[in-house]
Amino acid sequence: MPRSIKHAVRLFLATALVVSAASAIAADTIKIGWLSSLTGALSSAAIAENQGVQLAVDEINKSGGILGRQIELLTRDTAGDPTKAVNFAQQLAFSDKVHFVIGPVNSGEGLAAVPILARAGVPNLVIGAIDELIDPEKYPRAFRVINTNRQWISTANDYAIKVLKKSKVAVIADTSGYGTASAKTAIELLEKAGIKPVYTVLVDNNKTDLTDEMNKARAAGADVVMPWTAATGMLGRLLNARGEIGWNVPVVGHPAIMAAQIRQLLNKPEYWQNAYAAGYVSTTFGSNGKLPERTQQLVDKIRPKLGGGEIDILFWWVAMGYDTVKIIEHAIKTAGSTDAAALQKVLENTRDYKGVYATYTWTATERNGFPDSNMAVNPANTFKDGSFKLAPR
Amino acid sequence: MLTVIVTGLAIGMLYASIALVYNVMFSTSKVLSVTTGHLSMVGGVFGAYIISVLHMNWLLGLLGAVLAGATFGWLTDVLAIRRVLARSDEHLWLLSTLALATMVQQGVGLWWGTEPKPFPRLITQEFGAGLMDQKFWLPIGMAIVIAIGLEFFYRKTMYGKVFIAMSEDAFAARARGVSTDKIRLLSYVLSGALGGLAGFAAGQLTFAFFALGHTLTLLGFIALAVGGLGSNIGALIGGAALGLLNSFASYYFGGEYQQTIAVGLLMVVLLIKPEGLLGAKNVRPV
Repeated sequence: MPRSIKHAVRLFLATALVVSAASAIAADTIKIGWLSSLTGALSSAAIAENQGVQLAVDEINKSGGILGRQIELLTRDTAGDPTKAVNFAQQLAFSDKVHFVIGPVNSGEGLAAVPILARAGVPNLVIGAIDELIDPEKYPRAFRVINTNRQWISTANDYAIKVLKKSKVAVIADTSGYGTASAKTAIELLEKAGIKPVYTVLVDNNKTDLTDEMNKARAAGADVVMPWTAATGMLGRLLNARGEIGWNVPVVGHPAIMAAQIRQLLNKPEYWQNAYAAGYVSTTFGSNGKLPERTQQLVDKIRPKLGGGEIDILFWWVAMGYDTVKIIEHAIKTAGSTDAAALQKVLENTRDYKGVYATYTWTATERNGFPDSNMAVNPANTFKDGSFKLAPR
Repeated sequence: MLTVIVTGLAIGMLYASIALVYNVMFSTSKVLSVTTGHLSMVGGVFGAYIISVLHMNWLLGLLGAVLAGATFGWLTDVLAIRRVLARSDEHLWLLSTLALATMVQQGVGLWWGTEPKPFPRLITQEFGAGLMDQKFWLPIGMAIVIAIGLEFFYRKTMYGKVFIAMSEDAFAARARGVSTDKIRLLSYVLSGALGGLAGFAAGQLTFAFFALGHTLTLLGFIALAVGGLGSNIGALIGGAALGLLNSFASYYFGGEYQQTIAVGLLMVVLLIKPEGLLGAKNVRPV
């Protein structure tokens, strides 16, 4: 064998050794893929969730990892684009061979990426709210952490009907897939409660003025307006139209009604009064003015990382991000390994796991872990330090 | 009913302004740039930034919006038009301007944020003025001002006449010593400034929102096609018709049919009167 070839063989063997040693080290870590839309539309939720995810990973790693193994977080920015979500999901599942995937954040991305992760058999914590993301048969390893869209809607409906004692409902939704589907669910749930909406309309979420729709709702005799859209621009215009026509009808609906961006879009701050949205017990101040204990602990821990002052992001996203990593820790610790089938079994048998955002229960047939009892209704204009007041009951 | 008319007319006149901007660029380059709607988006966002964030007065905001639009217009010519036109007769500008428009939209999204933000009041006026609110009348007034201004420019100024000469026959204009490259660049800068102006005037109506560009590009184009390519009066009529039709469609049938009806209008015009209401018929002598 000529010298140069010998040299090449040696070099190859040496490289192979180094590579295999490196992968042996890598195999020692627990790999978590995090499909996060840190830029692009709806990035605000993902950025807040990322704070929680990072904090939990740092905490666990500092205290020695899970089963003595460090967590390696593989964050992939999907920019809210389903195509990118698919590519990254494939990369995480097949090239990086991660043990768990958190996300994607948006429902549209989820519809594209969840089936791929299911095919790869990777356990997946779902944080999108639409119903189709969950199916114990098609996606046996997909477990939902966030509430369902149905829970938002039924919480808002209950509040309008049972607490505010309203029965003449106007449903206003946007023309997106989310808006159309939500309007359908809202009407279905209202009809189950024996209420037929007096006015229903779908509106393009860039429509520049909603005065006509509000006037029509008023003419139809509505005593509560229920908007189903995540578009803050449309909600701002709806509240402005209500204010301008001087109609003090309660508005109850999607959590985006409480978003901080709405405040800037309102012609007058008082237009935000008498507006309520579905929220969470975990981020609602009790009658004593205090947050639930677990939430307060997390607030105290993360505040320095968020600049030390008042928290100006919706804290429930942070809490949910934090919980996803803690749930993974719980699953791996209980299973004693990172075997996907074993992790599925553990999650299927998880009852009342106490997180910050919620107390989760999954079973062999129910993959929606968020309980109805953890939902709450908040007045829209009561945001303070990341959380809200409880709506009058 | 009056609300339907005024809101429809207000947004329709923004489409008309976009159609006018298309005309300016088209006259010198025969290009329908995808960046046209984005010029207005940039005008709205920069106006809001200068007035609300930098706390300057609205005149400086207006100036900033016009400058931002003009710069974007200049960039469009330099990056997406000049080389493409020099090297190919194919309609590759469609792709190059689409690419630039998308890049600018993404850039604005990253810098300004992806949520709509408010556009400040320009004239002191209480909210609750209903149909007399400035948010409806500023875009309507601006479209008319731009149309009159352009007519004056084309008829009374030397550069305006050169624009017309180029739109009639660019080769002949070149043969007569017109620097067609410079004139085209000038037309892109002018159209950028006008787009920025239109976006600024309509800011209170649309909010300062990064994702407006593509919608405005499409609806401005429909207004242009309905009114007739090259005709400024046609652009005003086309814009107003489209805005009113959208508004009535939304009022009577609901928002889910609004887009279909807008695009349907385009189809109908293209089938019945392809040159638009007031467009010139291109008859090629054989």
